[in-house]
Amino acid sequence: MSIALGKKKQSRTPSNLWRHIFAWVLMVFAVFPIIVVVSSSLSATGALSTGSLLPTKISFGNYTMLFTNSTIPFGKWMVNTIVLAAVNAVISVLIGMFAAYAFSRLRYRGRKQSLQALFLIQVFPSFLALAAIYVIFEHLYTLYPAIGLGSLGGLLLVYLGGSMGGSAWLLKGFLDTIPMELDEAAKIDGASPSQIFWQIFLPLTVPILVVSTLLSFIGTFNEYILASLFLQDIQTRTVAVGLQSFVGGTFGANWGPFAAGSVVAAIPLVALFLSLQKYIVSGVTAGSVKG
Amino acid sequence: MNPLKPSAMAAIIKVFLLAIASALIVWMIYVAVLASDWIVAGTLSVILIGANVVYFSKKAVASKFLFPGSVLLVIFVIVPIIYTAWMSVYNYKTGNEITKDAAITQLHQVGLVPDPSGTSYDMVLGHYNGQDAVLLTNQSTHEVSIGLKDKLTVLSAGSFTTDANQKAVTATGFTADTPAQIAQANTWLSAFMVPAGNDLYISPQGTDVAALMHEKFQFNADNTKIVDTVGGITYVDNGNGNFVGQKDATAVLYPGWRQFNPAQNYVGLLTDPKLNGPLLGVFIWTISFAFISVLMMWALGLTLALAMDKKIRFRAFYRGVLILPYAMPSFMSILIWAGIFNVNYGALNNLLGIHVDWLNDPWLARLVILIVNLWLGFPYFYLISTGALQALPTDIEEAAEIDGASGSQIFWRIKLPLIFQILSPLLIGSFAFNFNNFNLIYLLTKGGPIDILNGQTAGATDILITYAYKTAFGGNDQNLGLACAISVIMFVIVGALSMWSLKRSRVLEEM
Repeated sequence: MSIALGKKKQSRTPSNLWRHIFAWVLMVFAVFPIIVVVSSSLSATGALSTGSLLPTKISFGNYTMLFTNSTIPFGKWMVNTIVLAAVNAVISVLIGMFAAYAFSRLRYRGRKQSLQALFLIQVFPSFLALAAIYVIFEHLYTLYPAIGLGSLGGLLLVYLGGSMGGSAWLLKGFLDTIPMELDEAAKIDGASPSQIFWQIFLPLTVPILVVSTLLSFIGTFNEYILASLFLQDIQTRTVAVGLQSFVGGTFGANWGPFAAGSVVAAIPLVALFLSLQKYIVSGVTAGSVKG
Repeated sequence: MNPLKPSAMAAIIKVFLLAIASALIVWMIYVAVLASDWIVAGTLSVILIGANVVYFSKKAVASKFLFPGSVLLVIFVIVPIIYTAWMSVYNYKTGNEITKDAAITQLHQVGLVPDPSGTSYDMVLGHYNGQDAVLLTNQSTHEVSIGLKDKLTVLSAGSFTTDANQKAVTATGFTADTPAQIAQANTWLSAFMVPAGNDLYISPQGTDVAALMHEKFQFNADNTKIVDTVGGITYVDNGNGNFVGQKDATAVLYPGWRQFNPAQNYVGLLTDPKLNGPLLGVFIWTISFAFISVLMMWALGLTLALAMDKKIRFRAFYRGVLILPYAMPSFMSILIWAGIFNVNYGALNNLLGIHVDWLNDPWLARLVILIVNLWLGFPYFYLISTGALQALPTDIEEAAEIDGASGSQIFWRIKLPLIFQILSPLLIGSFAFNFNNFNLIYLLTKGGPIDILNGQTAGATDILITYAYKTAFGGNDQNLGLACAISVIMFVIVGALSMWSLKRSRVLEEM
């Protein structure tokens, strides 16, 4: 009791003042662009008037324009992005989970070598090979248009290529913490490795799977370089490519609807992130402590 | 109770999924074989056999779990990396993209000029014995013939029927194309020519007329020399993917082909002043940008972590607001910042009532890049620094105090080196990430400002990856081979950096 009181007292002493000032200064920096984008999305002209951060007159014109103007198929972009990111997240986390289970639980010849090889390969970001990816998928288009250049299917395949290197590490770290006795008991009861995987490990790892899926989802949402290479047609674009092509270079004319689009697309993601903040933060800090 | 035991149910699902996947792959092999694409067909066959062996065998449990990920990894990550290295040793750019054989086939087409006789034909598109074919009627003599890509056959009277204009419309063994097929005919028609003997060819001019052409280029036997019989110029293979004039090397015949030339792109990057000047500038900026970014983010993140290390009031609130930049989709934040710094409409100029062209001055643009990157990255460094601070053993501080160390001494001499040690793998990781931070540069400044009129090929804020991207896909001149060479250099740098960091963290030994 006395300790708690003492702490409370301490926090009011002037020595903590700099901490508060520092936090407030940084918070202004942190929220400045967010305030700008929200208020310009609500301003009729899309531009901010001189000397004021808040719009003089609130209008929702920019928001309605997003879903009515045929030159900005924003709804289509959102659907493309969500489908692409969700399908990629689910498949790649499943593939990552398969790999993590094999690496963590199964003992086989070449295990250590394959782990090391995988670790080395995944340090090379695949988009560095962008010219080669372009040529390969240009060729695949002539055979299978559905997965060739210009298609969301082809883009998905490129993303999936990195799935084993992506989530497998985080998941393996988590699986390593599950006691071995669990699978030994199951083995004694006659369970096969795939039964152990589907019926014991998968349910146990639901929280970490959710976080991995979310991180993968956000990653795809933010991916620009490969998406811009693949998705030339305005109808197949993701939000990132669509908003960039729409606003790039012509901030004056399109800034208002762009701001509205950003707000619409950011809200669900920020909400998801903040709701899972605890898990994400512990994942991030665990990385620092483990190293 | 469930009528199926779980394992029986699982077996059914397994066979079902495998059957679908196999059917899909068999269809894809069929398509590849039709197109005579043996590499794709072979790769798919290996995958098909591999999948069925792995999933039906009782052994090889681990491969069951690793197979799908490995196949995707090999095809879509490892193959492109190898292909990048392969492309980087070729003269592979706009105008030099196809093989030499394909280029020569096209040059035969390019060299066609109308025959002085002016002979032309009415033409019907169709098929003959399963091959693409044309039914031709000579417009002056009304002689009727069937042309294939390698043969011209004159038809005798009676084996064809004509319309009122004496134009042949049907012939024995010939099926005319439907209008839908004609609409698709460009794919084969553009390269279609019927040899008519003596260097003469009948070449389609549209979809219903053909003309007698003769070839003005004479190729020597091993395709190393071309004589233009009309212009009187001799072209020779320049050894770098083009036929050029024997006397005037600037007279180039297109298309060229991709020529194996292992030194060109790499040596060019080092010695050609048009390439090595920009490359050196880009390289220095890439390193400085990544290094300064990491330093700034870490300094700010660590200071914030120290400020928040004490349980002050509103800490949870501060924390929630301060990690917002980390929660926002980053591509969007970058575009928003680009708008804020826009000279005419930007919020910053408007709010301050000034008119500064932030993104069009090389040094201001670089400063903007660093500020925006600081905004994007400091929350992450705040989080990891907090983690590191909590991981520090508390007794060290007490021991130092007893030894009479001051507060600042404890921080600079004891805590900071320890934190640095804990965080160094993440700092290196962040350096490697920023080294390739395409989104930030491309979405904020596109690598600019750039003075194209004065022949600049790289902008003031271009980093290696944006420079490679522009070399490969920017503008009209795509130089894929050169872009791949830059990529290979980046692979080496990123790889060396990661290896060094892995060695330090000893993660490979622990596996």
